[in-house]
Amino acid sequence: MNTEADTLTLEGLSVILTETAEALVKDVAIHLRAGEIFALVGESGSGKSITSLAGMRLLPEALHIGSGRALMGATDLFALPEARMQTIRGRRMAMIFQNPMSALNPVKTVFRQVAETLRLHTKLRGAALRDRVTSLLEEVGIPDPRQRMDFYPHQLSGGQQQRIMIAMALACEPEVLIADEPTTALDVTIQKQVLELIQKLARSRRLAVLLITHDMGVVRQSADRVGVMYRGRIIEEASVAAFFAAPKEAYSRRLIDALPRQDTYRAPIQAPPLLSVTELRVHFPVRGGLLRRVQDVTRAVNGVSLTLARGETFALVGESGSGKSTLGRAILGLEHASSGEIHFDGTRIDGLAHKARQAYRRRIQVIFQNPYSSMNPRMAIGAIIAEGMLSLGVETSEHRREARVASLLERVRLPADCARRYPHELSGGQLQRVAIARALAVEPELIICDEPTSALDVSIRADVLDLLAELQREDDVAMLFITHDLSIVPGLAHRVGVMRNGELVETGSTEQILGAPEHPYTQALLAAVPRAGD
Amino acid sequence: MFAYIIRRLLYAIPILIGVNLLTFVLFFVVNSPDDMAVSQLGAKYVTPEAIENWKAKNGYDKPLFYNAGADGLETVTETIFFAKSVRLFAFDFGRSESGRDISTDVRRRMGPSLAVVLPTFLVGIGVNICVALMVVMFHASRLDRAAVIVFVALMSISYLFYIIGGQYLVAKTWRLVPISGFLSGAEVWKFLLLPVLVGVVAGIGAGARWYRTLFLEEANQDYVRTARAKGCSELAVLFRHILPNALIPILTGVVVLVPMLFMGSLLIESFFGIPGLGSYMLDAINAQDFAIVRSMVFIGSILYIVGLILTDISYTWADPRVRLS
Amino acid sequence: MKPVILWSDALIFLLVAALVLFFWRLRRDPQTRDRWRQVFASRLGMAAFTVILAYVGVALLDSLHFRRALPPPDGVSTGEVFYDNQVSSVLDTLTAGMGERFERTYSAPFALRSFEKQTLKDEAGNTVRDFPPLRHAGAQLADPTEKWADVVRRSAPALGGGLALAVLLILPQWWLLRGSSLPWASSWLVQGILACTAVWLVSISRHYHVLGTDLGGADVLYQSLKGVRTGVLIGALSTLIMLPIAVTLGVCAGYFKGWVDDAVQYLYTTLSSIPGILLIAAAVLLFQVYIDLNPDAFPTGLEKADAKFIALCFILGVTSWSTLCRLIRAETLKISQLGYVQAAHAFGVSHGRILLRHILPNTVHIILITFVLDFSALVLAEAVLSYIGVGVDPSMGSWGNMINGARSELSREPAIWWTLSGAFLFMFLLVLSANLFADLVRDAFDPRTRLGPEAA
Repeated sequence: MNTEADTLTLEGLSVILTETAEALVKDVAIHLRAGEIFALVGESGSGKSITSLAGMRLLPEALHIGSGRALMGATDLFALPEARMQTIRGRRMAMIFQNPMSALNPVKTVFRQVAETLRLHTKLRGAALRDRVTSLLEEVGIPDPRQRMDFYPHQLSGGQQQRIMIAMALACEPEVLIADEPTTALDVTIQKQVLELIQKLARSRRLAVLLITHDMGVVRQSADRVGVMYRGRIIEEASVAAFFAAPKEAYSRRLIDALPRQDTYRAPIQAPPLLSVTELRVHFPVRGGLLRRVQDVTRAVNGVSLTLARGETFALVGESGSGKSTLGRAILGLEHASSGEIHFDGTRIDGLAHKARQAYRRRIQVIFQNPYSSMNPRMAIGAIIAEGMLSLGVETSEHRREARVASLLERVRLPADCARRYPHELSGGQLQRVAIARALAVEPELIICDEPTSALDVSIRADVLDLLAELQREDDVAMLFITHDLSIVPGLAHRVGVMRNGELVETGSTEQILGAPEHPYTQALLAAVPRAGD
Repeated sequence: MFAYIIRRLLYAIPILIGVNLLTFVLFFVVNSPDDMAVSQLGAKYVTPEAIENWKAKNGYDKPLFYNAGADGLETVTETIFFAKSVRLFAFDFGRSESGRDISTDVRRRMGPSLAVVLPTFLVGIGVNICVALMVVMFHASRLDRAAVIVFVALMSISYLFYIIGGQYLVAKTWRLVPISGFLSGAEVWKFLLLPVLVGVVAGIGAGARWYRTLFLEEANQDYVRTARAKGCSELAVLFRHILPNALIPILTGVVVLVPMLFMGSLLIESFFGIPGLGSYMLDAINAQDFAIVRSMVFIGSILYIVGLILTDISYTWADPRVRLS
Repeated sequence: MKPVILWSDALIFLLVAALVLFFWRLRRDPQTRDRWRQVFASRLGMAAFTVILAYVGVALLDSLHFRRALPPPDGVSTGEVFYDNQVSSVLDTLTAGMGERFERTYSAPFALRSFEKQTLKDEAGNTVRDFPPLRHAGAQLADPTEKWADVVRRSAPALGGGLALAVLLILPQWWLLRGSSLPWASSWLVQGILACTAVWLVSISRHYHVLGTDLGGADVLYQSLKGVRTGVLIGALSTLIMLPIAVTLGVCAGYFKGWVDDAVQYLYTTLSSIPGILLIAAAVLLFQVYIDLNPDAFPTGLEKADAKFIALCFILGVTSWSTLCRLIRAETLKISQLGYVQAAHAFGVSHGRILLRHILPNTVHIILITFVLDFSALVLAEAVLSYIGVGVDPSMGSWGNMINGARSELSREPAIWWTLSGAFLFMFLLVLSANLFADLVRDAFDPRTRLGPEAA
């Protein structure tokens, strides 16, 4: 390749974990060109973030650069003294990070943080500095910049915070922008806007962008070229069009295939309703004033009605804060309903006393989002799975319980010796299988799945979803599938409900909602989903 | 904000009542007035009349909580509880067992206490922050590791040895300042120098170590990496980004102590012969003068509660994310 | 010999047994085991722990009390055996009578003559004022100028004995721990040094006062050794009294919330708003009054001192639970929100079982860190309390009492520095080891300090 045209070239980069001398990144080469977005895609632990930090020479203390060169024109950045490197960071190379809330200094105003980059590298001061910051904020699409400038980061929304980060990075007109998972912490609709902004700026400012992501949809939507990283190496590199048309490596193929097809929908099924929720409201009191009286309420769930048939999967879709998890918790009896009714198999179950509730606890089970926090780190896997059987009196003999744990592990395709192991010894995907086994142990009729795959890597995500679908076919379990990710819905759900601000704005069959959404919010959500099949 | 403070003040009332009841139970129920009379008079002079006389003289000749012999409101007011505990709420501390007016004593002794403790407190914070910053600058080096061990070693020395050692070296061997004593007037600095020095040095180990932990905790935050990515030098990162954030826990951690400064320092005052509230308490303990101890407990708990409220207020002042409601 | 069991003796052995059991149970959990491995993988941690164990060992030896059988009085031949009024401990026996060689008053370390002049009669029968020779120290010397040569001469066999003891100690460990990856060598080094020092001190003390004598003529080294039991006990016992209160209240407040939480918060705010020192002083004084008024309950001076000591531990424990309670409450609030507690609710697991199996085991790291940190704080507090006059009974050996007795003697000319030095050395070594160990325990167990390299 022609090095002269590259804005930044990484060559033969390897990064070493100092303590064990293990190489986390091996012999990586990346060429960034002006006006082009290069996406480095990989799953967690593949070394993509470390590569980007190494490029800026910002590695955490436990790591160091083993070998390689970072050429910017004729200068090798890795050979520069630290003081010289500081004049390059922020001026010629800039970086934005995954979580804008924590990446911004919480005690400084937006103005001071954006201005700091300019103060460091330019002679702008006073009114000129203020004008420059204003125009930057305008450029990244902050409304009313003169006023927002004096806000603190926490007073802005997540999308605006990321825009501030971008403004800060671009303040000194750098040639290279490294974006490390810039949209992962954001809701889908915001995600789309931020990606479009980065794309627009890359074109208008002739920026060379290194976009780090785990999301093939993001790659498809915004990148020009792509490199796939796997276990510290770039195993494939190609233009985005060529890559999606014909990936060379089997691993790349799997990543692309993990993106759900948008064309096959599950047909709605006809069955008597198992669960029906009518006009459910869950309100949390907001206390205030002198005597901490309840002055107002947060309407987490505000008048939701839905029904769910035996053996049916209902996907509840919404962005963070829409009240979808609270609804699930209310059905589980973990949250108190302020009004409305929940019927299960013909019996009203909201507001049941502790004793009477027990029978329904066996029939309604749950799988949580974060597999790491949903297992007690001090209990062995076998004990975790058996706990529900014990407390709900499903299997009283210890011997039979053990046999059942073994058969459940087999069903979720985990080795039998897992029973004696502890949560921290398993991977996230394995733990989520344990969570499924734990729920199945008490033979439930309804499983509430609260974002069960959003903490998992894409390739594992597909396996877990397949497993859930298989179990549903075998046991005829109903599932309330709570998710923010519309893209996994098609092959999964029979029906879909879209939630916003505590209300169900639209429900219908999957085909109906994804094919011809009526509500503008559903349309916006759908438009924001990065697709592989476009 | 204003409503918040009012509410916190209201919340303080049950706590003060609790403190009062607890001390009352401790002093009068566990240990009856008769027992007190016996220990005050000394076993030699114990006769029933002597006990009654002592009780009458000191106002302990009433029932504890309820005076059935009196009428009207006096069934409640003519009791030891009312006379000795409820009056504290009106800052009426009464007289000590030896007959001195406690309020006057407290007012008179507050000055010397503050004269020692306030400079110790302020200089101590400054010194500790500087030492901690210096160590953090060399984070993860050999100097840092050695410094932590030195901090731990300094922490492991009893406060008593700092005082004794300070007096021996500075005052006795080098004869730089007087060993102990106190004067009011311009010459007072001579007597304050050593206590303040000892107080500051004794606090370095624990203080600097704590601040170092706070700085390092902040140094691991994401925004620090952002600052580096902007091109900030390490010094700029430390002073412009880490320090302002770390000052929040430091500030709120020390604000709670500010009102307690009025209580003086027990050990420093007694070793250096400073007539402050600390030595006042110590003398009261040694003389078993429970009237003084009770008053000081009450003052102490009020100051503590004020400290808690000040802490909350300082949070809103230092941290833009915190709003009180 | 007739064993005497004081309340505090029973408690310290119970305590050690409970701790051993507790750590044995913790071993079953692999994550905890890994963290302990991390603590002991540091040479510093190993050395500090060895020193702490040595202190605990001395404290235990000093807690085996008995009365010596006296030889039957001449001419009386009854079956009855008479016992010494003096209660001694195994430590007293091991130190070979170090505590029984009293001088008249102060004497400097290795001195042969008393610190204070006295009216003496010389050979001619004239009255002179001079420093009298000590009763015990250097009594074997014909010529006082040979003192240092004598010390050196006696040191050689003593150190030899110390080395032999060290070898005896270390050999079986070496045999057992051959395959271990932990830095046992640093523990063995400390053990060796401690063994040599101990044997040397005991054997030299037969003829000299290594750390001099105090006002009452008692050997300072012996007193410092006696202070070990007090220090270790006060640190461990008070923490142990405080733990159940703090843990129960903290866990309940954080888990049940609502009025339970309000009540617990009210309790600890009230308690911590009272200046600690005043509360402790008041409680101790009240207990003192109680003892004075009920002399029959405690027949011997030793029992009185022991009762007072236990009361002190109790008071320290009861007044100091608020910090830990606050921490545990906060942690419980956090854990209650986690998936596994939510899942347990969804499985209908009872409150008691959730508390015991899910919440309590996950707060153990806080309890552990507090235990080691509070231990050293309490050892230091004992000295201050004894100085104020509300500490342990003056008849009971403690570093605080030693400091209290000698604090003004530095101003004498020449200064009497050895009593303070003895207390300082013994206290510093214990507190330093405990603090260093606490640091390592915190690094290993506190999730906040366990920051690895950021995952890519």
